[in-house]
Amino acid sequence: MAEGKTIVVKIKRQASPTEPARWEEFSVRWRPNMNVIACLIDIAENPVTRYGKPTTPVSYEANCLEEVCGACAVVINGRSRQACSALVDHLDQPIRIEPMSSFPIVRDLVVDRSKMFEDAKRLRCWVPIDGTYDIGPGPRIAPERQQVAYALSRCIFCGNCLEVCPKVNEHSDFVGAALINQVRLFNMHPTGAMHAHERLQAVRGIGGIQECDNAQNCVKACPKGIPLTESNNDVNRQALLDAIFGWMFR
Amino acid sequence: MPAKAAATAEVTPEATTVPAAVPSRSYIWDKLHSLSGIVPIGAFLAEHFWSNSYALVSIDRYNQASYDLQTIPWRVPVEALLIWLPILYHGFYGVYIWSKGESNLSRYGYGANWMYALQRWTGLIAFVFIGWHVYVERFMTQGRSTYFDVATTMANPLYLSFYVIGILAVSFHFGNGLWQFANKWGLVVGRDAQRKAAWITGAIGVLFAVVGLLIIFGFVFQWRPFQFYAQ
Amino acid sequence: MNPTRVILIGGGLAGLMAAIRVAELGHAVDLFSVVPVRRSHSVCAQGGINAAKNLKGEGDSTWQHFDDTVYGGDFLQNQPLVKGMCEAAPGIIDLLDRMGVTFNRTPEGLLDFRRFGGTLYHRTAFAGATTGQQLLYALDEQVRRFEAEGKIRKLEGWMFVSAVLDDAGVCRGVTAVSLRSGEVRAFPADAIIVATGGIGSIFRQSTNSVACTGSAQSALFQQGVNYANAEMIQVHPTAIPGEDKCRLISESVRGEGGRVWVPKTPGDTRDPRAIPDAERFYFLEEWYPKYGNLVPRDVATRAIHKVVFEEGLGIDGKAMVYLDVTHLPREMLTRKLGGVLEIYEKFVGLDPRDHPMKVFPAQHYTMGGVWVDNENQATNVPGIYAAGECEYQYHGANRLGANSLLSCIYGGMLAGPAAVRYAQNLAKGSDTVSSDVYERERKRQEDIYEKLRGQEGSENPITIWKEMGETMTQHVTVIRYNKDLEAADAKLAELQERYKRINLADRARWGNQSLHFTRELGNMLVLARLITQCAALRNESRGAHYKPDFPERDDENWLRTTRAEYDNGSFKIHLDPVDTSLITPRKRSYKS
Repeated sequence: MAEGKTIVVKIKRQASPTEPARWEEFSVRWRPNMNVIACLIDIAENPVTRYGKPTTPVSYEANCLEEVCGACAVVINGRSRQACSALVDHLDQPIRIEPMSSFPIVRDLVVDRSKMFEDAKRLRCWVPIDGTYDIGPGPRIAPERQQVAYALSRCIFCGNCLEVCPKVNEHSDFVGAALINQVRLFNMHPTGAMHAHERLQAVRGIGGIQECDNAQNCVKACPKGIPLTESNNDVNRQALLDAIFGWMFR
Repeated sequence: MPAKAAATAEVTPEATTVPAAVPSRSYIWDKLHSLSGIVPIGAFLAEHFWSNSYALVSIDRYNQASYDLQTIPWRVPVEALLIWLPILYHGFYGVYIWSKGESNLSRYGYGANWMYALQRWTGLIAFVFIGWHVYVERFMTQGRSTYFDVATTMANPLYLSFYVIGILAVSFHFGNGLWQFANKWGLVVGRDAQRKAAWITGAIGVLFAVVGLLIIFGFVFQWRPFQFYAQ
Repeated sequence: MNPTRVILIGGGLAGLMAAIRVAELGHAVDLFSVVPVRRSHSVCAQGGINAAKNLKGEGDSTWQHFDDTVYGGDFLQNQPLVKGMCEAAPGIIDLLDRMGVTFNRTPEGLLDFRRFGGTLYHRTAFAGATTGQQLLYALDEQVRRFEAEGKIRKLEGWMFVSAVLDDAGVCRGVTAVSLRSGEVRAFPADAIIVATGGIGSIFRQSTNSVACTGSAQSALFQQGVNYANAEMIQVHPTAIPGEDKCRLISESVRGEGGRVWVPKTPGDTRDPRAIPDAERFYFLEEWYPKYGNLVPRDVATRAIHKVVFEEGLGIDGKAMVYLDVTHLPREMLTRKLGGVLEIYEKFVGLDPRDHPMKVFPAQHYTMGGVWVDNENQATNVPGIYAAGECEYQYHGANRLGANSLLSCIYGGMLAGPAAVRYAQNLAKGSDTVSSDVYERERKRQEDIYEKLRGQEGSENPITIWKEMGETMTQHVTVIRYNKDLEAADAKLAELQERYKRINLADRARWGNQSLHFTRELGNMLVLARLITQCAALRNESRGAHYKPDFPERDDENWLRTTRAEYDNGSFKIHLDPVDTSLITPRKRSYKS
């Protein structure tokens, strides 16, 4: 490609939660293999809009830049995804970047996703162990089972599945596919399974699994390819059996 | 690069405990909602299409079938408990669920998302249609609807088109609702199983739509393919 | 038992492990992290974690692991704690296993192990190719459990600014700034544990995450905490070169059979798949027949430099070599290396199962770090402890692959209880310290922030950062010459001057990322100079530190830890003897 080529980037900005949002356009020098993060670094170095107006560097979240930390989820050209793996050459221009809308905004592209971590507490997403002292190996696990669990445990809590879900919005408290997947993961572990009842009760709480109406956008948006709808259906079955036989036989 | 998370909430003065979530009633209401769509509403729908198919045999057989249903013992309590109440519940609770969703088809135009959006809209159409249908054929006729009553309604092109739309909406909503049920009750898990369930429930939806349209066709064009049974 | 409060800085593996240990002992924990802890850099560790469990019938032992580690580190470690770490490793794996880490399994349901660089044994437990992620998640979940039980308080989005030292020079807490509101606040504690990880950002294009700036270590260094072996910087041989960062392609790729090669003809432009075996130069296998592609990282990195820059055999004449897995079964690749190959696929756009990967070395790890004593992870300042990559203890002059996750967890396991013991034995707890002590430090830090926000000038922080990274990568990584190091230090001094003239485009307090970054940048520059000066000082070649003018290891003069002390802008560097009481240093060679 020709030297001196530029890319136009439009960014939705908001100085704080109380201030109005606005769009700003930037022009960035093209280089091979660029991603959206590289554009944002360029803008930070030269915070001037395309029309020559000085502005501030864009606030955004990023950490690992290899799609394993989950920090940099934003909406690019209308699609929720990780900014680090959004390669400029694969995007239509101008590139439109917005913050995710399902979470409270902090500033510019930064949103507050603490809801997911709070829900992980309420859903008891851990394997309760007796202590960290050396008391010998864990339970044996069949390789096939490990493969399934591994696929589920790669969730990076990016929030893309919540962002694309029509049931995650200000009218509903839905915990979202990522958290339901966590319930499945911990119920699969031999030790975690000993406490499955508590998780299955929790997942029937307010904003629980009943809120899912199978639009199934989550599984398409997941950058880690986690079979979220399978997890959802599996937890649905477990939760239902627990609900029915819970009161019948307890 | 300066891009740290401005993460999570402000500081709490001390560490705070967070109890596990407890089951909410909405879980039971939601499950009842999806169940009521299959039994009794779906079952009644099947029965209703069955008895109306007598229109494809003869007027007499149709009226006879209607009369048989209209003269069952405990008619009103049975109707109330097995039909009206479930439909009202399914309908109003459905509207409530509808209000909690926000369709985002314009951004994410995937197949299942389309089905989700259509399920919402067909549900709404079906609810209005069924309300009108019950009012006209059950209450206006004092519970004594005959072939003639239905045929008269259908003679009006406006009502006829409402019937066509209503039948299609109901059939879609039922077929897709069966698939939703299979997911929501965890009857299918794997992606292949989900896909197979989609084929099967889709076929059921199409079957209902075809039978429903044929019944309308029968009324409008006096078409009775099974008339020879009665001869 | 008096209840005490311990502050943890950093929510990676080491920090989380230490936090769990302290909470388990029944003491209050405040856990500070710039990112939500689940997004810490530990998630990037790919290959695995070492433990000599000897489940493959190879006769592996913890002593062998210890020997490999010390030998790999070119004998620069104080040996007793390294031995302790290797002995604790099998128990650590069991603990992680119990926490639910999805380690790969053998058909019998036992843990599977793979081979890594610098050893001849299958000693590395792994969870696909995202082992660090899986380990971090397991600890994150345990911490979340303690959090839900009200035993740990997390302060995510709060960045450590400085330690609060009382008049006796004892650490009584920290000051931190909210990345969201910009508020500077003091937090009291009886002891603090620093676990802030790597310093990759100093080299800009490294394999590290954005948060790995080394700012906290540098701030503490400037407050009197010693820093050791700063010059020992590991450059990983195989990473995908990139503009925003270099993305690591794990050593496990070679551990599972990946081969490194270049075309034998310089400038061969053929598709790599069209080049027959006879015309490929498998230089690692040829030069190091015993270890082959699994020589330690410093050796592999220098070999790649040699083949590219001295022999001119880089792909298309560029600074790149092939890392090839196309000869391996696809199913195995996906099962054992899926996570790594996915990174190549996503960021380069080619499937490495079909196309040999193009890779080049990149800054990866710092063996050096905050100085700690050799039993308690305690620094020289009372009340300050350190664990993980930010301290210097375990890896000497070169770290072996899959030892980092282990040292993080082991360090955290030691630091937590050690900090509690210290706090328990304090004559006066932090509750007796006057609030003036906290307010004074808080005000001092807030003033620095306010000055920075209001400052006029012509310099841009990103430009300074880029120039620093360029200088460091060029002169202070693989091959070091004294005259270049001097030039680099002069350049860094110039950048420090320019730093004083930074003009921030953003003067807001709320969510002002460039403000916080600029604060960190000032600290990075100090650490950059320390690294450069220590590198200039050490006139020998040892592990990752290589000077062509001094190509041999010199135990007589340089079997020494370089321990630096901050002295008002300049550094006093002490040369401490190394504890080699367990294994006598011998010549390090991987040729046969």
